[in-house]
Amino acid sequence: MTLQQTSTPALRRPAKRRDRQRLWQEMAMIAPAFLLMAIFLITPFLLSFWTAMTNQPLVPRPTPVRFVGLLNFERVFTDPLFWTSLWNVTRFTVWVLPLQCGLAFLTALLLHQKLPMQNLLRGLFFLPAITSMVVVCVIWGTLFQYPSGPLNQIVGFLSGGTIQPIDWLGDPNWAMFSIVLLSAWQAYGFQMIIYLAGLQGIPEELYDAARIDGASALRRFWHVTMPGLRPTHVFVLVITTIQAFKLYTQVAILTQGGPNESTETVVHYMVRAGFEEQKLGYASAVSVILFVIVLLIALLQRKLLRRFDV
Amino acid sequence: MSDIALSRPVSLAIARGNGKRSLRIVQSLCILVIALVMISPLFMLLIASLKDDRFRILADMGSFRAFWVSDPTLSNYKEIAHFSGELAYGRYLFNSLVILAATVVSGLIVNSMAGFVLAWGSLRGKAALLALVVALYVIPQESIIMPLVVMMSRAGLTDTFAVQILPWVASPLYVFLFYQFFAQLPKELYEAAEMDGASVFRIYRSIYMPLSLPALATVSILMGIESWNQYLWPTLVTQTDYARPIAVAIATFFGQDSIYWDRAMAASVLMMIPVLILYLAFQRWFVSSFVGSAVKG
Repeated sequence: MTLQQTSTPALRRPAKRRDRQRLWQEMAMIAPAFLLMAIFLITPFLLSFWTAMTNQPLVPRPTPVRFVGLLNFERVFTDPLFWTSLWNVTRFTVWVLPLQCGLAFLTALLLHQKLPMQNLLRGLFFLPAITSMVVVCVIWGTLFQYPSGPLNQIVGFLSGGTIQPIDWLGDPNWAMFSIVLLSAWQAYGFQMIIYLAGLQGIPEELYDAARIDGASALRRFWHVTMPGLRPTHVFVLVITTIQAFKLYTQVAILTQGGPNESTETVVHYMVRAGFEEQKLGYASAVSVILFVIVLLIALLQRKLLRRFDV
Repeated sequence: MSDIALSRPVSLAIARGNGKRSLRIVQSLCILVIALVMISPLFMLLIASLKDDRFRILADMGSFRAFWVSDPTLSNYKEIAHFSGELAYGRYLFNSLVILAATVVSGLIVNSMAGFVLAWGSLRGKAALLALVVALYVIPQESIIMPLVVMMSRAGLTDTFAVQILPWVASPLYVFLFYQFFAQLPKELYEAAEMDGASVFRIYRSIYMPLSLPALATVSILMGIESWNQYLWPTLVTQTDYARPIAVAIATFFGQDSIYWDRAMAASVLMMIPVLILYLAFQRWFVSSFVGSAVKG
């Protein structure tokens, strides 16, 4: 085919027909994604609102499904275990945020320079992040062994034997903190990469200007690096918070919400209500509440970002 | 006087250079120490998987023997490398790989096509569709999972590969990532190709797709990790070994009275390898493109 042949018919064809053809092609290309999202995302999402207001069980029963209004929400809000689970994920979030994001920020600051074997180092720090949570549970399950697992050995060694072995997963005072430790270890790699990109995004001229003005390294950090990273901080804190509120796998595998409900989380509570107690309507009410929580955090992010005019 | 004026900045520069170098050595040492500490659990996993006695694994854990194996053996791996039976980890691994490949390949096509049209198309409702995509992004997987399980079981899809692939192919996040990537490429390419009478699909496939390697790499890694590490969803929609992924299979170790740490360790190492390869293959493009779009988005 020569250029002549391809371009002439196109030019000769009436513009309107060509536009219509193009529109069809565009619709055909956009359709699969939106069709799939309509079936697997929008439909179940809308259904969850509807189901939350019915007494639908997991397995269909001969008795018809009844509309019960906001009864499920009322029941969720009056169940102390729900409030315990909400309190637990809040506790989890408050601990995991500084630990995970702080670690990510620190390693990013250290890695943000020309280093020998740079990619290898970054890859090493990113390794836990691509490790499946199930595998992480296998590893940390052994680290947490009571009474003579590696973590207890380290604690005993560092304290000179004064601290007694800790039952990391079996002690209600420690179980959630143990989950925090392994979760922060698993996920900090992602945040580190985001921080690295944030650091790369700060123009070098700003540092040069600060240096000419005689600003010390500490002042440069506070007056150039930190303001430059504001959107990154907001982004990292928000995604970490949202992730934290969806805590499930670690708890389902290692503690099943125990001991004494000290690691019960909102998602674990939802799955138990839906699949162990087979109360689908009730579980849907919990899922709607979870959605509202996540939405509020996301809206907060937008507000914060606008505040910092980014 | 001119001597002093000349020599001062020079000596200062040298002093600063020295300070910088020692600072960098300290920094490098810090990185190395943190890296070793953070990576040691994974190293322990690898070493433990080469020990054949599960009581010895736990006994060794409390000492430096956790990092050393005198008589490495692959017996744990041999024990779980079956395609049928109780420890059919070969099969679970295969299942996960099928699910991963199908999800990523179809996801790349479907999401990039939609992102492309949103970036360059002439559809009238384009802005509204884009707004919808951004809005849908807020919905967490966890809050649609209840009705979705019921929908899938009513459709008779329980215990299939399809039920683990189809729901996660199209995703607002990836449509948006592709949209952002395409939108920053020059418009002239599109206009020139259009003048030559190329169809929309042709322009997408022959001009923009070859240019979108960084976006393809990023989405591949993110989708790959996501699909590979799925846990909640497959536990709800698989009941038999037919399509069960390896993550669910490893988790069942925890249900046993005494955990077979030796086999669990070997299975875990096996589970790490495919994503590791995926990451190594694409990491060159990963950092810049993922982050650039994610933070701004």
